[in-house]
Amino acid sequence: MTAMKLKKISLPRFCQLLFLLLFLALFVMTEYRGNDRVSLAVNSFFRSDPLLAACYLLAEKSFTVLLLPAALVVLFTLALGRFFCGWICPLGTVLDLVTTRVRKTAPLKFLQGNVKYWLLLPLLGAALFNVNLAGVLDPLAILVRALTFSLYPLLGDTVRQGWVGLYRIMGDGRDVLAPGYAMIRDYVLPFRETFYPLAFLSLAMFLGILFLERYETRAWCRRLCPLGTLLGMIARFSPLHRIPATLCPDCGDCRSFCPTSFDGEALQREECIRCMECRLRCRFQRIGFRFAPSGRVEPCLPERRVLLGGLVSGFFLARLFRFRLPDAQARVLRPPGVRNEQEFLRKCVRCGECMKVCLKNALYPALFQTGLEGIYTPLLMPRLGYCEYSCTLCGQVCPTGAIPDLPVEAKRREVIGKAVIDRNHCLPYARNVNCIVCEEHCPMPGKAIRAETEKVTGEDGRPTILRKPYVVAELCIGCGICENVCPIEGKSAIEVFAVKDRTPLVAHAGSTGTPKDSPYP
Amino acid sequence: MERRTFLKILGLASLFGTGMLRSLFAAEGPVVVVAEGRDYEKVTVRALSALGGMKRFVKPGDTVVVKPNIGWDRRPEQAATTHPLVVRAVAAGALAAGAKKVKVFDRTCNDARRCYVNSGMEAALKGMRGVELKHIEDERFRKVRLNGRSLREWELYDEALSANVLINVPVAKHHGLTGLTLGLKNIMGVMGGNRGSVHRHIDGALADINAVLKSTLTIIDATRILTAHGPQGGDLSDVKILNKVIASTDIVAADAYATTLFGLKPENVGTTVAAYRRGLGEMNISRMRIVRA
Repeated sequence: MTAMKLKKISLPRFCQLLFLLLFLALFVMTEYRGNDRVSLAVNSFFRSDPLLAACYLLAEKSFTVLLLPAALVVLFTLALGRFFCGWICPLGTVLDLVTTRVRKTAPLKFLQGNVKYWLLLPLLGAALFNVNLAGVLDPLAILVRALTFSLYPLLGDTVRQGWVGLYRIMGDGRDVLAPGYAMIRDYVLPFRETFYPLAFLSLAMFLGILFLERYETRAWCRRLCPLGTLLGMIARFSPLHRIPATLCPDCGDCRSFCPTSFDGEALQREECIRCMECRLRCRFQRIGFRFAPSGRVEPCLPERRVLLGGLVSGFFLARLFRFRLPDAQARVLRPPGVRNEQEFLRKCVRCGECMKVCLKNALYPALFQTGLEGIYTPLLMPRLGYCEYSCTLCGQVCPTGAIPDLPVEAKRREVIGKAVIDRNHCLPYARNVNCIVCEEHCPMPGKAIRAETEKVTGEDGRPTILRKPYVVAELCIGCGICENVCPIEGKSAIEVFAVKDRTPLVAHAGSTGTPKDSPYP
Repeated sequence: MERRTFLKILGLASLFGTGMLRSLFAAEGPVVVVAEGRDYEKVTVRALSALGGMKRFVKPGDTVVVKPNIGWDRRPEQAATTHPLVVRAVAAGALAAGAKKVKVFDRTCNDARRCYVNSGMEAALKGMRGVELKHIEDERFRKVRLNGRSLREWELYDEALSANVLINVPVAKHHGLTGLTLGLKNIMGVMGGNRGSVHRHIDGALADINAVLKSTLTIIDATRILTAHGPQGGDLSDVKILNKVIASTDIVAADAYATTLFGLKPENVGTTVAAYRRGLGEMNISRMRIVRA
């Protein structure tokens, strides 16, 4: 049976698997692999996502060329209908792969009707009022976040623990297997395992969507998915029609083949995902898809009540969750190049790409630090990871340019925050012993942390020269390496705090050399 | 044994103990080779042969660890990391002497991947059979009893401990706390745990570790040195090109000599002084045999 299925894999199913593989490959490639630029990243999928593009447009009220692929998807949807869901969407493909193994009960009543509009419209409404929440419910973002925050670290940690376990058993004898492990480590595994806040929620959202398959096939896609709903609204204009438009009186098998749209006698046009299952499986080969002018223009939007309600609730969503704890604000550090918090919230689609690619795992999803509206936006947590001075990866993978893609010379001058020394904890101040690990690690060519020397009586009672660090705020970019490496346990004695004025430092006067004329390999 | 004989032996022994031996063999002080030239691979090879050639240190079948400084995400010309061509020449020399395997690694401060790539190390060692440029794996650190004056025990890297030959290849540069970082401090790259916490008594701690983990050979890369804003630098105006490579079997002597390249005296660097007092080597330039190559 399985063999037969494999043999007869149809074009749409092949296409789905191809895109799923591509998606996973791009996900794994969203990582530093020895080159300053990542040319291919999952952000290609995000940049083709019309929901993210729509919310960006509404929030930012301008267009960015980054989102051009999404405009193309809209055009194709106008012509072909919701083909994206049946041919491309990797989450849809995952659902198709698991749904055959899930026994179905009756569809959930409360999900039918206008629920999906109640999800989509508040998202669009909130965007209009400057809060871009699209990524919270975007299917691609849900998938990437489940992978980034939960499944990928889990995989990495499990394999790595196994490898460490082998060392405990075999010692250096493990080296025999090293080349094989190196392959996996270099091409499949995350470079280092990081556990993220919201890992559980991210996985739960994904598993919840899988769980809905218990009730009907593609339950998420037809009842909830805001991207699918948006594409469905566009698809109503598509001139590509299924013929016949209704079930045939003598058969009606389509109802069981169709994953989404035969709730009644007639095909729901905004829900047909063009998967071609009906056409491929029809015993009589009666079914075709033809281009024809739409006979009857159906209303594009749901009832006025839902439309208005959706927009109003978007307004509330954007305004009522503004509350922010002031002391949490002091530590809201955004990725490098983000100069304005409001603009960032309008542009960030919470896809998780920057957190996936971050070289030192410095970025983590916000929970409530930036108010509820900021959930899943990236925050720099220097004690866990710092921003690498010459790395520009987060800007490169950001699909909307919320984190700008800057040349490395410019990025090195972008201000994330400013470091502050806590003299009650800092060893030279608090305990008269030398340290200045922070000064050692400060990457600024002129050092933003310097030290003053002072003669004191040391621990052993003998006079020693003590070096007391201080921060030159004008030179500090807030990369956080000082906070990261401060050897004091627990709380660091030097911490980076947010600043409103993130004007970049003036260009460094000294020569940093150009790699072009470097004579070295 | 008769009391008289016993006293005689004791007397003679104390003579040896109080430095008789040292002054007796003063002329035989440690050899420090200073090689100079623009081709850094050739300079390194010359320095090695002036010391008697790599065959003197590496026996066929040996596992050799070459420990450069790859600690920072900087390019070779910025003088924060050991020059890759010097490392390449050392690794090639060890292979030619019959080494079974040459392992090159450092516990980096910046992201290990970026450090290994941008220091030029990956490109320089690529394709050399028998040479492994490896990332540090945490499980390989093991607690070692040092019984030192500053450190009782510390986690050290197993591959460095178990190697037959340890070749220490630091870059000579400025450091905010220790004044300079040279061979003795480069050994910090095989320390595990919270390394920053040893900064409070760094000179003694480094002497403790170097007393247990001895460098067979110290080759200091002074092809270009970082004179300020170390150990990372970043500004080429802080870099001075000297085209020199210093080599010695005496790590303290090598460090002491390299100090003079900065216009400093060996006694200005606490790390060197502490190691000398611990008997790890010679720091008086006048007692060394400086060989130009």
